[in-house]
Amino acid sequence: MNTLRMEFQKIKRKKIALTICALVSVQFAWLLWSGSRPDEDARLQGWIETLYSLPLMNVIMMPTIMSVLASRLADVEHKGNTYKLLNTLRRPGALYHAKVICGLLFILAVCAAQFIFVIALGYTRGYAGHPEWKYYAAAFVLNLACCLSLYLLQLLLSMLFFNQMIPLVAGLGGSMLGLILMYVKMYSFLPWGGFLSAAQARMDWNPDTRIIRFYYRAYSPVELCAVFMIFVWIVVFYTAGRILFSRKEV
Amino acid sequence: MPTQNLVETHNLTKQYDKIRCVKAVDMQVPPGSIYGFLGPNGAGKSTTLKMILGLAKPTEGSITLFGMPVHEKKRMKLLAQTGSLIESPSYYGHLTGEENLRIIQTLKGCSEKDIDEVLKIVRLYDARGKLANHYSLGMKQRLGLAAALLGFPKLLILDEPTNGLDPAGIQEMRELICTLPSKYGMTVIVSSHLLSEIDQMADHVGIIRKGELVYQDTLESLHSHAKEQIALRVSHTAIALDLLRQDGIEAVQEADYLLLPMVGDAYVANLCKRLVAHHISLYRVEKREKSLEDIFLSLTGKESSL
Repeated sequence: MNTLRMEFQKIKRKKIALTICALVSVQFAWLLWSGSRPDEDARLQGWIETLYSLPLMNVIMMPTIMSVLASRLADVEHKGNTYKLLNTLRRPGALYHAKVICGLLFILAVCAAQFIFVIALGYTRGYAGHPEWKYYAAAFVLNLACCLSLYLLQLLLSMLFFNQMIPLVAGLGGSMLGLILMYVKMYSFLPWGGFLSAAQARMDWNPDTRIIRFYYRAYSPVELCAVFMIFVWIVVFYTAGRILFSRKEV
Repeated sequence: MPTQNLVETHNLTKQYDKIRCVKAVDMQVPPGSIYGFLGPNGAGKSTTLKMILGLAKPTEGSITLFGMPVHEKKRMKLLAQTGSLIESPSYYGHLTGEENLRIIQTLKGCSEKDIDEVLKIVRLYDARGKLANHYSLGMKQRLGLAAALLGFPKLLILDEPTNGLDPAGIQEMRELICTLPSKYGMTVIVSSHLLSEIDQMADHVGIIRKGELVYQDTLESLHSHAKEQIALRVSHTAIALDLLRQDGIEAVQEADYLLLPMVGDAYVANLCKRLVAHHISLYRVEKREKSLEDIFLSLTGKESSL
């Protein structure tokens, strides 16, 4: 607990929360703009449409948000040349844990804020009925897992490189890749495509009737593997980061 | 019964790629001492100290701290009684001096009162509310020392603590280090490439050269090597050497000179007469002093800084 407390003491005046809030508010602005005047059909499918559009938005923005978060948390150590002091006071593994948990708490806050916002927005716009809670809960957990896998990857890069431009560019590259992946397939084994793999809502557009119908999909075995892959990436990036942190000589 | 050393290394070796930076170092630091770890730049001082602190893993050899062998499992427990300042000070520039120390205090688990005390010791108390980024280099160095002093550890490891300080700062740091064993019962290992600095602070000295510990003893013992000699240059060195041996004087030949230990003026006058009587021409009689610098240079090579 002391190590985690120290992690929050260290980021005082770094305005990490403010930076993350600014990035997340771009998502909120996007959500406010899209479907700002819903018709009757949109109101009927509102809750499921939200679960369709949220992963699409996250696949573009979350890699960047996670890279900023990880970079801000790791950069304080690089700038202050502090690893050689901290490693004499705590096991490197414990210091890594603290960084992971600190980041996870931020991610939790971001995901919670996102879901609270979309639910509040849905009620404000008068979507029919209530959110399908089991799908929303699953989406929340999978969203959290995707963000965590990206955060762990970015933390690894941010710790590895003194120059934080490299991990930030990787984050932006991840966002670009996510955008491309959207046009290829609605699932991906890559960490940046996790949001697409995890998306439960699908869209069916009939070119003849020009009617859009949203539905909850049943995962095919390949899609299920892609969802499972999100958790594999978490384990891989966590283990790699821990090994790197523990074995790094300063 | 001999006193147990606070720090001991046995055959401590570090190899990076194919280069051996530290070669079989057997360091012995007695408790309560100020151990001056002296050597030219790149001799392996920082690497040795990093290995003691567990920041670098030894390729070979072992380390004993407080009489206990250092293993990965015990490392943190043993280091809890240690403070360190390696190379440049570590600090969070966006935090104040006091906030920086609070982080270290949280990790060390020592009393909050220690923060004010160490700030006063290093004379940063009045600047405690200032951001560390706004500190001068000397103040940052003192902040690093304050962090090392937090919890008043038994062992303090300071790697080139006067780097970047102005003469007044160096003097201040030196005086502070000298008081630590008597005032707080600390043992201090302080590294430097400056002989004069170690000469003014340490009571024990270890000299490292190209990764090898070439000298280790008390500073007093090192000083005893700094002896005066008489140098003679004569026409027949071998005959003069025989004469000196007959007198029981252990002289050595070095280039064209005979070097004999310091003898009285009367003996020198008498010796000159006898050399002339033996038809030996006397070209030079000189008094030579082998200084501490000469010893250091002979131990470390001419490339060393003084």
